[in-house]
Amino acid sequence: MSRLRLGRWLIAIPMSLLALATIYPLLFTANVAMKTRRDYILDRFGLTDALRWENISTAWNSVGMGRYFINSLFVVTVSVFLLLLFGSMAGFALSQLRFRGSSALFLGCLAGLFIPFQVIMVPLARIMADTALIDTYPGLILVYVAQFLPFTVFLMTSYYKGIPPEIVDAARIDGSTVYGVYRRIMLPLGTPALLSVGILNALFCWNDVLMALVMMPSAEHRTLMIGVTSLRGQYSDNIPTFASGVLIAAIPVLLVYLFLQRQIADGVAAGSTKG
Amino acid sequence: MPIGNTQPSVRPASAGRAGGAAPTPAAHRHGAQPRRTRGGLGAERFAPYILVLPAVLIIVLLRLYPLLLGVNFSFTGDGAQNGTAVGFGNYRELFGDPLFRTALSNVGLLVLLLPVAVAIPGLLATFIYLRVPGHRFYRSVYFFPAVLSPVIVGAIFNLLLAFDGPLNAVLGSFGVGPVDWLGDPDIAMFMVVGVHIWATFGMALVVFLAGFATLDAALLDAARVDGASLRQVVWHVIIPSLARTIQFVFVTTMIGMLTSMFGLLFVMTSGGPEGSTYLPEYYIWIQQGQMNRPALASAASTILFVIMLVVGLLQIKLLERSGKED
Repeated sequence: MSRLRLGRWLIAIPMSLLALATIYPLLFTANVAMKTRRDYILDRFGLTDALRWENISTAWNSVGMGRYFINSLFVVTVSVFLLLLFGSMAGFALSQLRFRGSSALFLGCLAGLFIPFQVIMVPLARIMADTALIDTYPGLILVYVAQFLPFTVFLMTSYYKGIPPEIVDAARIDGSTVYGVYRRIMLPLGTPALLSVGILNALFCWNDVLMALVMMPSAEHRTLMIGVTSLRGQYSDNIPTFASGVLIAAIPVLLVYLFLQRQIADGVAAGSTKG
Repeated sequence: MPIGNTQPSVRPASAGRAGGAAPTPAAHRHGAQPRRTRGGLGAERFAPYILVLPAVLIIVLLRLYPLLLGVNFSFTGDGAQNGTAVGFGNYRELFGDPLFRTALSNVGLLVLLLPVAVAIPGLLATFIYLRVPGHRFYRSVYFFPAVLSPVIVGAIFNLLLAFDGPLNAVLGSFGVGPVDWLGDPDIAMFMVVGVHIWATFGMALVVFLAGFATLDAALLDAARVDGASLRQVVWHVIIPSLARTIQFVFVTTMIGMLTSMFGLLFVMTSGGPEGSTYLPEYYIWIQQGQMNRPALASAASTILFVIMLVVGLLQIKLLERSGKED
């Protein structure tokens, strides 16, 4: 036992070093974003002597990160709303209602889990081009919804399975329609799962680069992550502006993480244990 | 599972309120319930289908159908031969293309590095589970990079690993010559994979911790009372008990390496230097988006899908075997 206890303290040393390695890159970037170009060339590691927001505002305005930010915010909001709506509707029906073909439909939704975007990228781009949805916001939103819907349906179905069927039965006997049960009972009861799945989906959509790259070729439609990739070529000699652009893209995620870390971890854990 | 357990206790109450005059056996009532539900208004009868319709429609039209379309597409030609059947022509061309062969051998490298990518979060989760001092802090710090976009991670490491960047500056102060981390074909792929592992080990860590939550604590206590060392505890108690979780992490980590490194490759190396950091997903994107070879890209997609199927089937096989051992 004592051996194990001593070991615990010894293990804390590499674990702390690893923790430092985990957060240092972002702290370094934030620090660089506050420096002037001259400061950075003279001293890369020293703490900035002042909090300068000029680089951030340059990145936001002249580089266009502000517009990309709004684009991303719009696409992510609509996508997550649709994902939660369709996911909870299907999850409710597949878990609580008995109807012909329900298990086949559930398996069909699950099959979508095993098809990554890379595998269907070419035909999907063609379908989007044929329907004039390529390079439009509805097109990208539809691609995001299709990408993350199997996972959303799966998690909502597992969650709603835990709700006792007598609740639905009682409401039905009291004369409520199926839609009434969905709206007045299932949506409120599903809040914890909807929150968890919603945050995860928001992160997935916000962080995506490949789908946006394929579906949104024109510059004015760029999402924030595409904006970050374009920083490299344009600002490789102006590191503080480059770092500011990266920081703008990272800050929303950082805030979400600080306040909703538990929900994110719960969502990931639910995805693994329910399988 | 909870449905099966709770139903019998509910039935009598609800059936009584529904006004069944004659007391029927429970088995009959079980069948009566859905019939009553279906017998309602026309709109009500179709309600379940209407509820699943949007999800099913989207998944079928934008996931399952494109998969078939893509496979079909991979047997047709590009450019002037657009739409005409070329048999296995695209596949022959793929295997003749050094870039695609590099992409496949890099997949081999990922398979070799897979145990490392699983062992690191596994060990860390073990320590956190064993309540190392500060375990809560470690847990939230380690998970953090997992929520950052690969693009952001890639951009940050572009900065850190630049030839005239901070890492080389530190090494230089120790007298170690500057290394071209992302510009040397022998090193670049290892750097990208390393950054990927750095960015994603927190995800696997959380999955491991969820697995640990199901672990029987009495087993661990017994091992400790018997004076087992940490290595013995890990080897004889934790690994056998977490077999399913470990397999799940193996598969999801492999799939993650195959399908979520695009952002890193795109930002850090763009497939270079000398095409040394190509992966199938990057190859697909280049052929489709840059080279205007959609049919060839579809063939590469089909091969990527087959690789993923093999990974998935291996897991099912492993699960079946461990099921028999139980």
